[in-house]
Amino acid sequence: MVLENEIFKDFEDIVGKNNINDGKVITTAYAYNWCMEFFNYMEDKEPSPFSSIPKAVILPASTEEVAEIIKLCNKYGIKFKAQSTGLGPWNQPSTDNCIIVDLRRMNKLVKIDEKNLYAVIEPYVSGAQLQVEAMKYGLNCHMPGAGPHVSPLASATSMAGPGFTSPSTGHSARNVLGVEWVLPTGDIMRLGAIGLKKKPDWYNGDGPGPSLRGIMRGWVGAKSGIGVFTKVAVKLFPYPCSTDFTITGKSPNYGFKIPKYLRLYVMDCKTYEFLEEVMLKVDEEEISFMCSHLSGSGLAAIFSNSLQGLIGKAKLAQLKVPIVILITARTDREFDYKQKVMDNLIQELNIKDIIGKSYSPEPVFYAEALRSNLGLHGFITTGSFQSSKGGSDTAAVCLLSTKMNIPLKMEYIKSGAIGNDSGKGVWMTSYESGHYYHMESPTMFDQTDDHSVKGMAEYMEASNQLDLLKHLGAPFFVEGTQMHELFGPHMSNYHIWLRKIKQAFDPNNIADSGFYISPHSKE
Amino acid sequence: MMDDEEYKHLIRRCIRCSICKWIPQLQIKSKKYATICPAIDMYNFHPYSGGGKIILALALEMEKIKPSEELRDIVYKCTECGGCDVSCKFLNNLEPLEIIIKLREKLVDLGYGPMPKQQQYIDSVKKNNNPYNEPHENRLNWLPEDINIDPNAQVLYFVGCTSSYRRKEMAIAACRVLNAAGVPFNILDNEEYCCGSPVFRTGDINTFKDFMNKNVDAIEAKNIKKVVFSCAGCYDTFKVHYPLYRNYNFEVKHSVEFFNELIENGKLLLTKKVPLTVTYHDPCHLGRNAEPYKEWKGKVVNLMPLISIHVPPKPKRCGTDGVYESPRELLKKIPELKFIEMERIKEYSYCCGAGAGVKSAFPEFALHTAKNRIQEAEDTGAQVITSSCPFCSTNLQDAIHESDSLLKYYDINELLMMAIGITDEKLKEFLGEVA
Amino acid sequence: MTEDILFQKLVEIFSSKYVSRERNILNNYSKDLSFYPEKAPKYVAWPTDTKKIEEVLKLANELKFSVIPISSSSGPRHHGDTIPHKDNTIVLDLSNMNKILNIDRKNRVVMIEPGVTFGKLIPELQNKGLRLLLPLHPRDSKSVLTSALEREPITIPRYHWDSSDPLLCTEVFFGTGDLFRTGTAAGPGTIKEQQATGQAQVNPMGPTQFSPFRVIQGAQGSLGVVTWATLKLELIPTIQKVVHIQSDTIPELLNLQHELIKYRLCNELLILNNLNLACLVKKNAQEITELKNKIKRWNLLYIIAGRGKLAEDKISYLEGDIRDIIGDLGLKGLISENIINDNDILQVLSQATPDPWRLKLKGGYQDIFFLTSFEKITEFISIVEKEVPQDLGIYIQPINQGTSYHCEFDLYYDPSNDAEKTNIKEKFLKISTNLMDSGAFFNRPYGILTKEVYKRHDDSTQTALKKVKKIFDPNNVLNPGVLCFDE
Repeated sequence: MVLENEIFKDFEDIVGKNNINDGKVITTAYAYNWCMEFFNYMEDKEPSPFSSIPKAVILPASTEEVAEIIKLCNKYGIKFKAQSTGLGPWNQPSTDNCIIVDLRRMNKLVKIDEKNLYAVIEPYVSGAQLQVEAMKYGLNCHMPGAGPHVSPLASATSMAGPGFTSPSTGHSARNVLGVEWVLPTGDIMRLGAIGLKKKPDWYNGDGPGPSLRGIMRGWVGAKSGIGVFTKVAVKLFPYPCSTDFTITGKSPNYGFKIPKYLRLYVMDCKTYEFLEEVMLKVDEEEISFMCSHLSGSGLAAIFSNSLQGLIGKAKLAQLKVPIVILITARTDREFDYKQKVMDNLIQELNIKDIIGKSYSPEPVFYAEALRSNLGLHGFITTGSFQSSKGGSDTAAVCLLSTKMNIPLKMEYIKSGAIGNDSGKGVWMTSYESGHYYHMESPTMFDQTDDHSVKGMAEYMEASNQLDLLKHLGAPFFVEGTQMHELFGPHMSNYHIWLRKIKQAFDPNNIADSGFYISPHSKE
Repeated sequence: MMDDEEYKHLIRRCIRCSICKWIPQLQIKSKKYATICPAIDMYNFHPYSGGGKIILALALEMEKIKPSEELRDIVYKCTECGGCDVSCKFLNNLEPLEIIIKLREKLVDLGYGPMPKQQQYIDSVKKNNNPYNEPHENRLNWLPEDINIDPNAQVLYFVGCTSSYRRKEMAIAACRVLNAAGVPFNILDNEEYCCGSPVFRTGDINTFKDFMNKNVDAIEAKNIKKVVFSCAGCYDTFKVHYPLYRNYNFEVKHSVEFFNELIENGKLLLTKKVPLTVTYHDPCHLGRNAEPYKEWKGKVVNLMPLISIHVPPKPKRCGTDGVYESPRELLKKIPELKFIEMERIKEYSYCCGAGAGVKSAFPEFALHTAKNRIQEAEDTGAQVITSSCPFCSTNLQDAIHESDSLLKYYDINELLMMAIGITDEKLKEFLGEVA
Repeated sequence: MTEDILFQKLVEIFSSKYVSRERNILNNYSKDLSFYPEKAPKYVAWPTDTKKIEEVLKLANELKFSVIPISSSSGPRHHGDTIPHKDNTIVLDLSNMNKILNIDRKNRVVMIEPGVTFGKLIPELQNKGLRLLLPLHPRDSKSVLTSALEREPITIPRYHWDSSDPLLCTEVFFGTGDLFRTGTAAGPGTIKEQQATGQAQVNPMGPTQFSPFRVIQGAQGSLGVVTWATLKLELIPTIQKVVHIQSDTIPELLNLQHELIKYRLCNELLILNNLNLACLVKKNAQEITELKNKIKRWNLLYIIAGRGKLAEDKISYLEGDIRDIIGDLGLKGLISENIINDNDILQVLSQATPDPWRLKLKGGYQDIFFLTSFEKITEFISIVEKEVPQDLGIYIQPINQGTSYHCEFDLYYDPSNDAEKTNIKEKFLKISTNLMDSGAFFNRPYGILTKEVYKRHDDSTQTALKKVKKIFDPNNVLNPGVLCFDE
């Protein structure tokens, strides 16, 4: 369904002829995304990897262009879906009366403010790009767990926000300072100090008065359902160790000159109860750059760059309840102290570190850890995975959730629908030195196998039900009207308030709500 | 290369992660030079990327889209540089480059490929044995009289169409260096034909095989032991693609490999100072794409539901074994030459923009890409950018000209000539003489 | 409806013991230390449980009267944000809801009602080895929850992971009278059910795709009435070492402060001018003046801390690393010893006080505070010092892990001296607007400055805030007239 000529022309006048396309080929390609098959199936559609086909794809180059595009959408009653690096079904239109606003051309790193420890970025700056530029100042950014190739702006404003380094770099949503936001009406709003009429700057995004960051997003973001974020200031952190980042060899057999002041510990806690004790103790010491629990098979995966390599790490996969801790330091003193803390904990807890003893990772692991490339290892077994669950509160609930999920997951493993991780496949991390925790259950499936796709969808639904009925926290994927109406009544009727926000900020219902909430319950 | 069944399977496996748009994540050193794909850099819409083209292949297969000129234009706006392939395969098991090649073949079969401009080149290859519409009998016009050719030599210099007709200085330089090293060598005279690369890369496999056979027959008839190329494209075609269809009994070397060995063996003496700061551009055909296919005969073993492995492990062609060190070692051996690297090098080198028919069909795209590369070279502080491929040579020099850059381009063998004592002016003189 | 009937309805809700219309009591709520014009509420009510709050809010919506929630039991209020704007106003004094609902050592979190004061909570937490993230030496009778809701800066910037810290989850009645729980407290499940699965309401974000706690915070009671909140805690260190660095000029101290926060090397970290430091540690005007004259003009205070068996090791590593930084910055000569007792500084930075420190010098003060970036601090100091050459306290607090700075200027005056009071009021307005025009971000706008602040801010923010108000308090019953909201 292409745009009418006159409407097309209006959009074209904003971005120029090379930056809009409503041809069948381009628009169809934009209808494809990872996990669309089982998301479609969950919505009682055919398990196709394609979503609704957008009417057109448009590539703005500036905030003003985005605003004009959205105003036109309002004028013509056409919905929009914005995307940055575009990974995942959340980027897909939920209706064919929709254009995709691909923010790829908005890729400026506006500034790195060394003194005030933040960076201002546009949507198409990738995590790796931001990190390497921050490193030049001895600084680091919080990298989205999805990997260094995705957009930190999207993570900060619109998506989820965990990362492997969350114990030391927190959560994307909590690292947000100033924000530039094109509302669903096309009005541009600037949050915090960047909204000052005189001498605006990016160092703070709250107020005056209440912080509209609370409307912008929650634990997860609004996935373009509340407008388009065109610039954001994100907090920077000290780079955890020496910034010397020397890769050797050729892809895929990269070596890495391990920088000074980096040490990995992997320990098998054997039980979830003991894991909780260990994790809390380690976190209270405020020493870890990374502190994660993965299942044995997950652990083997982060140390493997191929399925063959993974098979060779069967011993790691046999660990019952492993914890992975990476400590980093800036000086000899700091490094010595942190190692001493770990030595003491290991002794006190009577636990064994296998690193350097029964197992030593390839040096490239450290490069991937520093660059947050580890999440991508989830793809090496079946070709695709998606996480169920995704709640966040204490370590205790994360581990209870992990335990309670095992029998459910085993049902689907036995049916051959999802990959066999003994039901224990999980990634759990602490945040802010253990002030809260999050767990998700990466689940492997094969997107080319219908049985697997359908099984995955059914497992996701069952897992959501488990979280709901057993009070294990709200999963990541409580988004979209159907899910909100399922969970809302059990959660302070939040869906009613979220809907009011949608109605107030998007009076013409122009921002695609497929992964947010529709203004009317029957839509 | 993949068969149809594997193609149909793999095109359903793209996760749209866009890693194909970037150099390998661990290699990113700056925001400015983080990207790998010239097509997405130029055209921005996702289908132009490696992953985007996989989606197009799937959409075509699922009949979500029909073959069309719109589709053809996107698919052919690709230099087939293989950068996407390297980045993807750091962790994944997709074959973006082969899928793109196969998709082009499908478009040819459906009557939608190649691009009309490219068709002219292909027609010329068929008619004139070269893509440039030049008479075959003029193929040796570049050859100065004072080059010593030895009809009985066991080393053959395969000149290639582009050096023969368009980048004559490269052919001359290669021959001068061979003479200077005292290596007896032969050339194929009028028996040298287009290597077939242009037809292969646009999907006409039968014509490709004809040219392969003509060349291999001619070389084998002369009892040649070693064939040396200064053209990365011809080298890649001989080394990587001929063996997919026919085995041959001679060794192939790019001149950078051969000359580097000659220097190491003391046969080629570099006595003159070349006090230039030089950066090297890895041609895709000499770098990542020069990695040969390794034959795999094994089986797929189902370990457990959804998880299968290849037994024995199936080699993954990741650009690991391209020719990367020889040109660098060679440059470092030139007295007083200061060698300096660009950010994107070796298996994640940025393409010059000329390959896979792009220069002919989409010259503005080729130039845009080359300008990007020239900027990267300039940022190193180098005075000279060098490479070892006639297509890269032409395109990079066009970009230097168009962007008013102060950089100079020399073929790597021209730098060798300077180090041997044959100055740049002398080279021009030769060219004048030949003209 | 006559006033008597309204009063009667309030009595029905609260019982006569907990509603008052006595003039002298109402007068307590009619003014504060700010220059905001006096106005008494019509009634005051003291809810003792959440049901009563719900009922009074529903009634307010029905009968169209205004409600101003306040939490602190006694002691001076400061910023004009609780003084009624409208005639028909009831003050909801939550100070009787003062239970510490749960202290959770394992998850380092406390759940408190609004009436819990610093004076009550700090020792309770201390008993369990825990501590609050404190604003600078708070009044002991001050509500802990209010302080967090007002986004008061805390003195340990490395623990200030988000400008909302230490506030986590809340239970809140929106202006509509609807009960809501923010963050993970929203569910699924009741708080009891959540606690049964090991949850402790430690994640403030959400539920799902919005974080209403962020709009409740900073709203000055105009969007909701919070009935409990969870707050983030830290463990009490075993060893704390105070370092006091003095200088006649501020730039070098700012540079050191930047390095210390950049590498997260110390806990408490702040800069005070000599007057404010003296006000904090001394008892009366004379002592304050003496100390002020004894110490240098600018004072950087920081505390390094260690905990447990390796506390000494940590101190030793931190001391070494900081020594290197101080050496690199060439500041070795500035470290002062024994001018002020370390324990006095520790006391100030870890305890509440019955004696508000800003009132010690002259009995009155007007503070001007805002956020800014590192580079602008000295410019703003010059602007204020030019106008106020004496009796000016200055406090510079890096917040949010060093991404911005709370700048506070305390203009001390004698409230019994009308001329001085008038002069300070004029200066307060003039300086504040000058600062605003120079780019100071008054992110917490109060009282008579509010209009000036919003006038200088992007109009779209006001429009959006008004939409938010309309959603959560459509009948404008909660504290009307504050911020950019209609009276």
